[in-house]
Amino acid sequence: MEVKVEGGDDFANTTFAKISQATFRDLGVRASIDNIYIYIDPTAHFFVISVKIGRVASPVTVRDMTQREPDRLKITDERYAPNLLSVLWDTYGARIKQVSRLEIEFELDEKERVAMMDLLVYDPKDDLITRILDGIDRILPEGARVRCPIPLPDRVTLLASEDPIGPEWEAKAEEIVRKGSTD
Amino acid sequence: MYEIMMFEGGVYKFNELKELVEDIGGFILQESVMQTETMLHLAFPEEEERIIRDKIKDLGGKFRKLPLGGSEIIIVAPSLGKHHAVDPICDISEYLRRKGAITNMMGLARGVGKRIAQMTVEEREVLEEFDAAVFVFGNIKECIEEKSGLCESLDVPHIIVGGPQGLALEHYVAGVGRRTDRMRRTHEIDTLERVAAEVEEVIEERRLEIEEDPLAASPLFIKEMIEMVIPQKAGEEFSLIIQIDGLRLNIEEEDVPMIKDVSVGKKKLSEICELEKSRYKGYLLKIKTEAEVGSIY
Repeated sequence: MEVKVEGGDDFANTTFAKISQATFRDLGVRASIDNIYIYIDPTAHFFVISVKIGRVASPVTVRDMTQREPDRLKITDERYAPNLLSVLWDTYGARIKQVSRLEIEFELDEKERVAMMDLLVYDPKDDLITRILDGIDRILPEGARVRCPIPLPDRVTLLASEDPIGPEWEAKAEEIVRKGSTD
Repeated sequence: MYEIMMFEGGVYKFNELKELVEDIGGFILQESVMQTETMLHLAFPEEEERIIRDKIKDLGGKFRKLPLGGSEIIIVAPSLGKHHAVDPICDISEYLRRKGAITNMMGLARGVGKRIAQMTVEEREVLEEFDAAVFVFGNIKECIEEKSGLCESLDVPHIIVGGPQGLALEHYVAGVGRRTDRMRRTHEIDTLERVAAEVEEVIEERRLEIEEDPLAASPLFIKEMIEMVIPQKAGEEFSLIIQIDGLRLNIEEEDVPMIKDVSVGKKKLSEICELEKSRYKGYLLKIKTEAEVGSIY
C-alpha cells in the first residue's frame, strides 16, 4: 500500500502517511488498498483523502475455515466463527449445535453436508467500503466534520473541512486527486 | 525551599532515614513497602541535602530528584476522541509522573479544528485550579498557532506541545504530533524529556514568584497537620494532593468543618487558607501569604 501526502509541511506530511499506514493495518484492509493520496491545505483548512481499492481477498466458505468430521465441524479459523454459526443456524436451524468453543455438531443428510461445505461465510467485499470509510474517518482531522464525497472511478474520495464546502472546492478536489494520484 | 527526592531501597534500617527526615524538618510524602523493597518520596530543606544523601549511601539505596514533586499538572487534549487520545497524552502524563508530578488528563469539549476550536468558561476554571497545564495540539502548524490563542488568557502557567518545528510560541515543544503508537524510541524519550524540562521551567518560575511573597505555611506542613486530624482512609490513595500554593483535598463534605479547625502553629487553618469546592474534584485549599495573615508562630 503506497501513501502519498502533499500540501502540508514536512512534519504533517510524514505523520499523515504514518497514521494512514497504521490505521489501515489495524483495520485489516491494507492488502485490499492499492494506494492512498492525501492532500492537505492547512490555510484554507481543507483535506482530501482518496483511496484506490485494489485486489480484494477471496470469499471465505465453510470449507476454508473448518475441518469436517463425520458428524461435526472443527473450526480452524476462529475469526469467522460468529459468521459461520449465524449462516448455519439461518440455513439449518436447530439441527446445528455448538457443542464447544470450536466444535459444531450437525444432523444433516449427505446431500446437505456437501452443500454445507460450500456455504459462503464471509465476503471481504461486503464491508470493505465500510472499513475504508472508518479508516478515512480516523485519519482526517477531527475538526474537519463537514464531509463531501467526490465520485471518481475505482476510488473512495472524501473532501473534509470545518467550513461549508462549495462546488468550487469539489471541482478543485477532483482535479487535485486526478493529478496527484497519477503523478 | 524544600527539595523533593525519591528513595528506593531495602527495608533494612530505612526507618532511620524516615526519622532523620523528620528530625531535620522534612516530610514523608509517599511511602510504599513491597516485601523487601521500599519507596519513599521525601521532602526536606534543600540545605540538608548532603545529610540525606550520606544516609541513603549508608543504607545502600538509590535516590533521584523529583523536580516536579509537589505539583499537580493537567494534560489537555483538544478532545478525548481517538485522534488525540490515548497517544501521546498518556506518554506525556506518565513521563511527568516519573518526575514526581501528580497528573490529570482532560479533553476539551469543543477543542478540535482550527477556526471552530473553543474553550468553555468551565474548562478554563478547571484548568486554573492546577499548577501547570500541558496542551497537546496536533500536527498542523496553522492549527496550533490558531489554537494557542485559546491558552493566552489562561491564568495558569502552561506549555504547548505539537508536531512541527519552529513555531514562535512561548514554552512550545515540537516533535509530538498525532500518534498511533507509544513513544518508546530514544529520540522520542528525548522529546518527552524536553517536555518535562519545559514544565519544570514554568513550575520553577511560579515557585520563585511565590518565594517573593512567601506563603504563611508550606503546603507540606499543612498536609501533615491535616493528616493528624483526618488520617488517610484504608485503601485510599492521594486524598491530599500537594500543589505549589495549596492542596487539593479529596474529602467528604462532613469533614470540611473539621479541616477548618485544624491548628497550624497559633492559627486555625480557616484563618490562613481559603477553602472552596473544586470544579474538578474535591476541595481546593489555597494558602494565603504571610504578608496577608502574619506569622503562624
